[in-house]
Amino acid sequence: MLYVSQLQGKQVWDAWGQAVGYCKDILVGDMEQPFPPLRALALRNGGSAPEFVAAEQVSGLYPSIILTVPRAEVKAFSPRGDELWLLDRVLDRQIVDTDGRRVVRVNDLQIARVRDRFCLTGVDVGGLGLLRRLGLGRLVCSVLRLARCSPSEGVIPWEDVAPLHREDPIRLRVSWNRISQLPPADIAAILYELDRKTGQALITSLDNETLADAMEEIPADMQVAVLSQLKPERAADVLESMAPDEAADLLADLPSQTSEQLLDLMEDEDSEDVRLLLDYPEDTAGGIMTTEYAAVPIGLTVGETLNHLRRSDEAQDDEAIYYVYVVDDERHLRGVISLRDLIMAPSDVPLDDQIHHHPVTVRPLTPQRQVAYLVAKYNLLALPVVNENGVMLGIVTVDDALDAVLPTAWKKRLPRFF
Amino acid sequence: MRVGQIIRTVGRRLWFFLAILGPGLITASADNDAAGIATYSLAGSTYGYQFLWLIVAVTFGEVVVQEMAARMGVITGKGTADLIRERFGVRVTAFAMLCLLVANLGTTVAQFAGVAAAGELFGVSRYITVPLAALLVGVVVLRGTYRIVEKALLVLCAASLSYVVSAFMVRPPWGEVLRQAVTPSLRMDTTFILAVLATIGTTMTPWGIVYMQASVADKGVSTEEYGRVRLDVITGAVWGNIVSAFIIICTAATLFVHGIAVSTAEQAAVALEPLAGVWARELFAVGLLGASLLAASVLPLSTTYAVCEAFGWERGLNRSGREAPIFYGLYTGMIGLSVLVVLIPGIPLFPIMWLPQVLNAILLPVVLVLVLRLINNPRVMGTRTNSRLQNVLAWALTVMISLITLILFISPLLPKI
Repeated sequence: MLYVSQLQGKQVWDAWGQAVGYCKDILVGDMEQPFPPLRALALRNGGSAPEFVAAEQVSGLYPSIILTVPRAEVKAFSPRGDELWLLDRVLDRQIVDTDGRRVVRVNDLQIARVRDRFCLTGVDVGGLGLLRRLGLGRLVCSVLRLARCSPSEGVIPWEDVAPLHREDPIRLRVSWNRISQLPPADIAAILYELDRKTGQALITSLDNETLADAMEEIPADMQVAVLSQLKPERAADVLESMAPDEAADLLADLPSQTSEQLLDLMEDEDSEDVRLLLDYPEDTAGGIMTTEYAAVPIGLTVGETLNHLRRSDEAQDDEAIYYVYVVDDERHLRGVISLRDLIMAPSDVPLDDQIHHHPVTVRPLTPQRQVAYLVAKYNLLALPVVNENGVMLGIVTVDDALDAVLPTAWKKRLPRFF
Repeated sequence: MRVGQIIRTVGRRLWFFLAILGPGLITASADNDAAGIATYSLAGSTYGYQFLWLIVAVTFGEVVVQEMAARMGVITGKGTADLIRERFGVRVTAFAMLCLLVANLGTTVAQFAGVAAAGELFGVSRYITVPLAALLVGVVVLRGTYRIVEKALLVLCAASLSYVVSAFMVRPPWGEVLRQAVTPSLRMDTTFILAVLATIGTTMTPWGIVYMQASVADKGVSTEEYGRVRLDVITGAVWGNIVSAFIIICTAATLFVHGIAVSTAEQAAVALEPLAGVWARELFAVGLLGASLLAASVLPLSTTYAVCEAFGWERGLNRSGREAPIFYGLYTGMIGLSVLVVLIPGIPLFPIMWLPQVLNAILLPVVLVLVLRLINNPRVMGTRTNSRLQNVLAWALTVMISLITLILFISPLLPKI
């Protein structure tokens, strides 16, 4: 197997055995292919600018780099601009392993001959790659062989990685596309591992929905940093796509001027919800509730209820419907039924016969700990929040309630570096 | 509601200010850790006011070095180890990380020696205090209450302020003090040169560079806010070195005049007698403990982080031990080894508090050369490379430290002057 670190600084010979220069870099093109082919070599031969040799004129790379033609017949090649410079831009840098969903450092790159062309096939992220570059690879391998262990390779196929390149994000559209396919929590974790500037380059390449989902997973200080990088209009769009309680928490962390500006840019419907939530302290039921929940009017049958839900915008917005709430015309909470009971009930019976008429509720100013206690005590997945007149304001879902007792992974962690 | 919001806003602003004012102040306080207190006490009690000029010189050096680190953090948003790896490849990185690891292992040993010495001043055996301290540091770091503890320990470190008060109370000959602060004095004997290197290595360290750059990069300070970071660096350096100078003045005025060259923590505590009288021991011990614990919780963790970052090993406290075995292994190893060294029966605590600083100074040029090559590379720093003056100062510093190191190794062969 051939590694690019073995080619670094190596002498290049022409067809007649004349030295042409030293290998300065290796350029691969056609990045959208799973194993992008070698396009050219950049040579260092005394001049200030590198000289390029097209891949077609390279006959072999190892043990020596030899060209197919004599020096005089080397065709002038100029890079098209979409190539990836392997030694300069990829080796020793961080890339995303989209299969393992983590950020790794490139210890070496594998090149193999695939049907007459040299192609970039894999990324070595393992300890063996490190040792090889320290000149200890062979030693360690023989020691391991004596100990009858097979060294773990740690090579990831190129199609499963996404190189990062913050100066020039357009060139690596393939990378961003691969990353944006990952689950939001993984994108958030990757964002957190990257240095800020690369992270921000990644953020600008995500679409609003993906970004909003990832935003809900990252810690507050980073949310603020991300949002302040976006244009106000886009920031407002992202906030609209976030759950109202998350958006409210984020806005509460911004300077009041900025948050007002963003609220004005948001659509009225979304910004009203968020404004309502902003009025409550962060550690109360009001501060952690969401205003998106599934509600139906009184007097329907079970079947009508299900039909109502399918057409209702409110229910559409509810990310995980655990319960359906029955409210009257003034939105007084009249009862609750779990989705399970609703589906299991025959469709022609009145809903009123099936619901619990006195659900456990909390007030907006109930402390978060108390909410968590109630959720645990009654084994609930969500708890309705009502005001003093019994008007339903929103629900607190179990994950938000339990945050008080069991902080989410992000909250536990330290500042990124220590 | 309104009032609550106002308080919250004010609190947030204040927190932001403290956060920005963080790294400079912390690295500067770390100058006055156990190793620092020991080094300055030694220098002041052995050579009187002769080291004051060095403190002045070192302040400039610290500003130059830390400013470069902070600027790299702001412009690149990456850690020092990260940049070294990307620009210089595996071999250079391995060497640089080895230097960092060795220097910081030494300093960690010094911190636990500080804990041991503080404990013994209260009459508690080091076989109790040191393992307890290691446990405490581990719990603090792993439970993630680190930020709070950091602030609390900074307050505890304010005990070093007592040196300032104490110095004024002994009424040292201020004329002499000022004269020594501007006239360089040098001697060619090994102990003197060791003390010089220890003083340099207390203020400017490979670790200081790594920590400064990492914290600035982590905060995501924008280029426009850079002025504030520089202010933080300068205030931190000046403040840290004022305290250092007062430790020297204090020990010179109380111990040097009586011909006592400090060789134990007990003797060093005497310098606080003008202020605290019979409580000098306790005051000294509390300050020493705070400083040691602060450094012991920051140092091994940041070192481990940098090394793992350079080699791309899984790192960070949000990972489990199974996910990041090298990270936790290295961290535990550093603490464990340091504890073991301090617990070697009969090992004298005071020398192992200040000698590691010499190591810091000797290894600093390695990191400085790499930093200088990075910071003068426009592909890394864009338009924010070093100015000519910055380069002259930084290179002069690197050459000077290397020269002093050279003199240290040949000094046993030189005739005494």
